[in-house]
Amino acid sequence: MARRALRARAQRVIGSASVESTEALAAGVRDARARREPLRIVGAGEWLDAGRPCAAPHSLDVRALRGVTEFAPDDFTITVRAGTSLAEIDETVASAARWLTLRPFGSAAGTIGATVATASWGPLASAFGTPRDHVLGCEVVTGLGDVVRAGGRVVKNVAGFDLVRLMTGAWGTLGVITEVTVRLRALPEVDRTIAVAIEGSGADACDAVRRWLRASAFTPLAAELCSPALAARLGIGDGERAILLARLGGNEPLVRAATRSVSELGATHDADAAVWEALRLAEPAGATTFRLGAAPASLAPVWARAVRDAEAMGGWAHATVARGVVRCVVPRAARASDEEIARLRGIIAHVPSPGSRIVERAPAAVWTGLPPAAADALSIGVRGAFDPDGIFNPGILGPPA
Amino acid sequence: MRVDPVAAPSDSAPGGTLPLLDEHLARDLAAIVGERRVLARPGELRAYESDGLAGYQRRPALAVFPGTRDETVAVVRLLAERGIRYVPRGAGTGLSGGALADDVVLLGLHRLTRIVSIDAENARAVVEPGVVNAALSRAAAPFGLLYAPDPSSQTACTIGGNVAENAGGPHCLKYGVTLNHVLAVTALLPRGEIVTLGNAAGESDGYDLLGAFVGSEGCFGVALDVTVKLERIPQSIVTLLADFSSVHAAAEAVSAIIASGIVPAALEMMDAATIEAVEASIYAGGYPTDAAAILLIELDGAAAGLDEDAARVARYCTEAGARTVRSATDSAERARLWQGRKKAFGAMGRLAPHLMVQDAVVPRTRLPEILTEIARIGERHDIRIRNVFHAGDGNLHPNIAYDGSDPVQARRVHAAMSEVMSACIAAGGTITGEHGIGLDKLPYMDRLFTPDTLAAMCALRDVFDPDRRANPGKVVPVHSCREWHAAPSARGRSA
Repeated sequence: MARRALRARAQRVIGSASVESTEALAAGVRDARARREPLRIVGAGEWLDAGRPCAAPHSLDVRALRGVTEFAPDDFTITVRAGTSLAEIDETVASAARWLTLRPFGSAAGTIGATVATASWGPLASAFGTPRDHVLGCEVVTGLGDVVRAGGRVVKNVAGFDLVRLMTGAWGTLGVITEVTVRLRALPEVDRTIAVAIEGSGADACDAVRRWLRASAFTPLAAELCSPALAARLGIGDGERAILLARLGGNEPLVRAATRSVSELGATHDADAAVWEALRLAEPAGATTFRLGAAPASLAPVWARAVRDAEAMGGWAHATVARGVVRCVVPRAARASDEEIARLRGIIAHVPSPGSRIVERAPAAVWTGLPPAAADALSIGVRGAFDPDGIFNPGILGPPA
Repeated sequence: MRVDPVAAPSDSAPGGTLPLLDEHLARDLAAIVGERRVLARPGELRAYESDGLAGYQRRPALAVFPGTRDETVAVVRLLAERGIRYVPRGAGTGLSGGALADDVVLLGLHRLTRIVSIDAENARAVVEPGVVNAALSRAAAPFGLLYAPDPSSQTACTIGGNVAENAGGPHCLKYGVTLNHVLAVTALLPRGEIVTLGNAAGESDGYDLLGAFVGSEGCFGVALDVTVKLERIPQSIVTLLADFSSVHAAAEAVSAIIASGIVPAALEMMDAATIEAVEASIYAGGYPTDAAAILLIELDGAAAGLDEDAARVARYCTEAGARTVRSATDSAERARLWQGRKKAFGAMGRLAPHLMVQDAVVPRTRLPEILTEIARIGERHDIRIRNVFHAGDGNLHPNIAYDGSDPVQARRVHAAMSEVMSACIAAGGTITGEHGIGLDKLPYMDRLFTPDTLAAMCALRDVFDPDRRANPGKVVPVHSCREWHAAPSARGRSA
């Protein structure tokens, strides 16, 4: 594939083991800028074939920037170097009964830097939000080779313009993230996962869940609606009905009452908390994945179409209903047929306007025709201010080169 | 309309000197908004010389108050055409001097008070910028919803101002600040373009320009409308009042509660000096006047399990040395307890002509030592520093009632505040948690951020406002902008 060819061409690696400090990285960036040699920023390499094609001939490897700078369990914050894996962070904070409530889809071998750069999230976003709601501060090397330290280590901070939000989700195109401070939460006293069999699998199932979330006095830590095929794959469903995977946390009486409440939706059974890890890792390598968003009350038809068509192609869908987002997963055949491409584009086109269509990973033919992100005048201006020579991840965001 | 002559200001800040504000401008603005909505006489402008920090006074050259979205757009475009600088203002309740217009145009947006829609099914609302914070929650209440960020000035402050400052409030401990509740903004940029930031119906893709806009203190433009998330009114609420014989013990209780993992909806502290002022005012909350400090703690959510959490919180207070912990027995008592807290600045404003309020934040484990340090700083400068603040967030509000007309007193106050800032930065904190930089905290930006970081902030501002006309001279010290060494073409403002 074209992407593989690009990766094969990434021969000269600046950085790698030699980039062990922010200063060294900044020097490398200044050098690349002087030579006008675009760089592809690489962490654990988990998402290298995601996103739009990146046209950089060289890689900038940040994996050597790893480790915990400061863990303050009683302040509920941790500061880590960007190349630190999510697994390492999870392990460190769990020792003090804390957790980082991001748990994005994909392997925990992924780095915190990539998670923040791509604004990736998972089912816990239902209660805790996305990276923009977690990141308190970051250190970034801009496309000018400057070291910018944005935000801080406290949970509330409005000092100056918000460069932290700007860097979160910028896919590295405004700067290489070298260090991140994130907010943590306490592990819940009781953490119970319930599988609820919802009658049917289509629009009604989605709407029933939404209405319960809207009316209930409880806020589940996660409430992920799984299509029948996904539920069967995870071993929590019969393949006929959609399953709501609800994670209920809090003290004992609260979780007991919440369990009673969610059982109004259908027959329930307890599920092992390990199912959340299985959900993160459900998609096979290279699968096509994309997210479709709508206001929660308009999500049901999006969900119904996604389930029908994704499952017809051997894939599945799941929805973070509280956030109004459906995520589609379709394992990729060696070469997608025209019919499959048309079908994928059909699912995406079905989202009511304005809505949102975010392609995480897909064949290039799916990308064509979708409006590029960050192609508006303000975004182009921001890119020009932070990376005037376009040396970071060219092509991933913004207007096509 | 008679227009008093306004002298051309001798301003040397980048952006060039302000064009002469003559009767033509007043007349042309009046053609848009009506004569009564343009103020140009010094007497009329006096009411707009200050925001919530009355110690700062700056006279606007002229004030204009559009009443509709179209008028707002027309006004901003007229100012853009003529290259005139302006300062947006909501209700003027800010506590950073951010809405002061020093001889430039003041653009008041408090007349844009329409709640455009409340979408109960999706728990969101679209409002114009002049909608008062508390009015939104009142309008949402029939749907079982509320707007969570609740600055103490919520009965007066506007949503537009809240967005500009990324405002907080006591209940942001559990629910998050303004940033976490804004889904989209229709922004009117300083050059008059209208852009949508964020996405009210799905995820945002690309750069988080909405995140950058929220908290930009009017420097990136003004909001024409704001789409906010609403929260369910909690099924149950428990409000506790714990009183302590030392500030240190109260701070220890805060640390213990936070460390336990229980997230109260609010966790507020008031010290003896504040209690004294509040109890002597019409806002008396019924606090024990012999306490060295009190904690006002609120837990909310589903009824199930709430009493158990409240009992644990009460136990942490007792273990830290609380003399008593009592629970509000009804909503009237709860309202009274909160009134004392929310009107505390008002109560202290009665004590002296001016009130200085700071807004630094420290990691929550550092609260006991920083409160001791603040008391020491007060003693050293022979001034009484009162503390009333969002303890659960580590967001301090040390404040001093003083007479600004006495230069010796004013100097002592500023010296003490400067030391408080340094102490908070040294403790790993920041200089403002919810009030913004404005004018008041500008001198501390250099202590907190490196020149490259400040320069990056300037560069971001230049993208939104290439002519540097919106709220000029605020947030980032002007001198730091010169150090940004981007190619001139990247500045959006060619040299």
